[in-house]
Amino acid sequence: MRSRRRAMVVACFLAPALLIFIVYRILPLVWNIVLSFEYWSPLHPATWAGLDNYQEMLLDDDVFWQALWNTLIFLGSQPVAIAMALGIALLVNSDLKGASVYRTIVFLSYPLMTVAVAIIWHWMYNERGGLINYALRQLGIIHQPIAFLDSFAWALPSTIVANTWQVLGFFMIVLLSGLQNIPPHLYEAARVDGAPAWARFFRITLPMLRPSIFLCLVIGMLNSFSAFDLIYVMTNGGPGHATELLITYIYKEGFVSTRFDYAAALTVAQFAILLLLTWIAHRAVGGNAGAIE
Amino acid sequence: MRLRRVLLSRFFIVPAVLLLGTGVWNVYVARHDHGLLEGRVIDAAGKPVAGATVILSVHDFVTQVEKARTRTDATGQFRFDNNPSHLIQLQAQDGALASPRVTIRLWFRSQDRVVAQPLRLAPRA
Amino acid sequence: MRKMWWRHAALIVISIIMLAPFYWLLKTAVTSENIYEYPPHLLPVRPQLFNFVDVWYLIPFPRYLFNSIVVSLIAVAGNLVLNAMAGFALTLPFVGRRSVIVLLLSCTLIPFQATIIPAYLITAHLGLLNSYLGLALPLLSTIVCIFIFKASFDAVPRSLIDAARIDGLGEMRILLRVMLPLSTPAIATNIVLSFIWSWNNFLWPLIITRSQDMQTLPLGLARFLSYMEDTTGALYAFVVMVLAPGLLVFLMAQSAFMRGLTTGATKG
Repeated sequence: MRSRRRAMVVACFLAPALLIFIVYRILPLVWNIVLSFEYWSPLHPATWAGLDNYQEMLLDDDVFWQALWNTLIFLGSQPVAIAMALGIALLVNSDLKGASVYRTIVFLSYPLMTVAVAIIWHWMYNERGGLINYALRQLGIIHQPIAFLDSFAWALPSTIVANTWQVLGFFMIVLLSGLQNIPPHLYEAARVDGAPAWARFFRITLPMLRPSIFLCLVIGMLNSFSAFDLIYVMTNGGPGHATELLITYIYKEGFVSTRFDYAAALTVAQFAILLLLTWIAHRAVGGNAGAIE
Repeated sequence: MRLRRVLLSRFFIVPAVLLLGTGVWNVYVARHDHGLLEGRVIDAAGKPVAGATVILSVHDFVTQVEKARTRTDATGQFRFDNNPSHLIQLQAQDGALASPRVTIRLWFRSQDRVVAQPLRLAPRA
Repeated sequence: MRKMWWRHAALIVISIIMLAPFYWLLKTAVTSENIYEYPPHLLPVRPQLFNFVDVWYLIPFPRYLFNSIVVSLIAVAGNLVLNAMAGFALTLPFVGRRSVIVLLLSCTLIPFQATIIPAYLITAHLGLLNSYLGLALPLLSTIVCIFIFKASFDAVPRSLIDAARIDGLGEMRILLRVMLPLSTPAIATNIVLSFIWSWNNFLWPLIITRSQDMQTLPLGLARFLSYMEDTTGALYAFVVMVLAPGLLVFLMAQSAFMRGLTTGATKG
């Protein structure tokens, strides 16, 4: 009787939140999975397509592979950002005067609207009025302005820089809290044993930071979703798909070309890739979401 | 006691100050938005010019569109009563002489303004 | 002591790099020059605030601000209620608890962009298109926040909970009287995270709003990109206006936020 009453309470308490997720996450995912195996447009009824959409995606669609490659590069920049954030966190962690000021300054970019960040950085990269070209030319590094967002080589790295700028503060905060939770006596013991600084870092700091790093990796992956806003406003996938991510490609196929069925196949593919990457990240930090014994 | 802590917290003070500032500004705007524009026209030597035509143009998306004209009185002063815009241009003309187009930017629409610099007539270029 | 000097220097360089875009934005918003002239000046030329006046009359900024505030309030309130309840339910042992947790965790991998078409159709079906509730509905609960609450509730000593149960308090009372008062960092984190996500949300309002006067701030910003390709800093003045409320809220709440985020990060 007790457990039945509790089960009812649990159900009632979970129901509203679960309902939101079922309606707005799970149902759409299932809808997408089903749709990826069909031909459908809003005017015609759905017909079974088997694996045709996937075949087109994998064999005939160069943009898909370009978008996939770009997405992987984008995701690959996240560990770099995490490493940089770790460096900043280490700097801020000491009993530094004004540490909270530095913390706030680095974190300030995170709560901004991604649309605004895109506009700001679009302007920063501008050939005439932008700070980046101006600084590079003043320092004598280049002599002609580089059209960063219009060049095939520089567009994607430029957007990655903008994204890193925005997300660095968040990683720093997570890593900082992880650092502050490492018991100091571990360091004391190591110092007594005569371990040099770099050994202390690799043997104590990094392993103890595993849960924080895992969290950063996951957030970094989710961040590739919100990159939609950034790319959409900064380059819209251009020039010529050089900055096309899977996420923007899905949007274009779905809403601009109204090929909802094909977009559904792309969505399923992206979901599968993310699952795979999460599993890899899980393994990389030693399983069990990096929890420490 | 709890109430006092709430009142002194920054979550209350900051919005309260903002609201207060907005209120004061709105009162100021309401009392000064009659669209009055006053100024003077002088010639190249610095003497006031009576009977000169002054043209008021209003910013209309891309260009300036002429809205009203008036003439200066005996002391060289002119006055417009119904300026509706926040971005206007003034130009004085008197026969073969004209002043440069002066752009005036206001803080809000129809702000009452006494134009500080007089419009100086010179032969048209 | 020497080490401190070195750290300060490095941090100052980093701070300059992180603040440079903000400065460039502000400088462009208040400068009087033609912003496309090369070379750009490092300081604003004859700084003036009239760009803000122009933007004010060109774009219904108060309306967008109001819409954003209403939607965020609904989202934050909904998040607090729903997440606290769900987080509490997850601390109780019940059949299938692990499956529910795994299910929720995997939901985070579903990108929002993948859900927009069905979500749009469902919202239209509910008649909530172009309404505040429709704008806030997908954001009424976030999984990360549920787990933040759960971690915080897990940390409450069992003795307190058992004592409350012995006293005959029902589950809802336990949540309200015992758990929540001990979880103020989690509440603060929830508020700030859900506020940020609903305030900055761009794609969902883009799809859901049908009329201009229901648009939110990010939407207004993106819409007017094409309107304002002129040589003044008007667009950047608009960006400053749009960013100001968010930054203000963040600066006021930052210590609570960072504290709460770190609690959630280490316990999760």
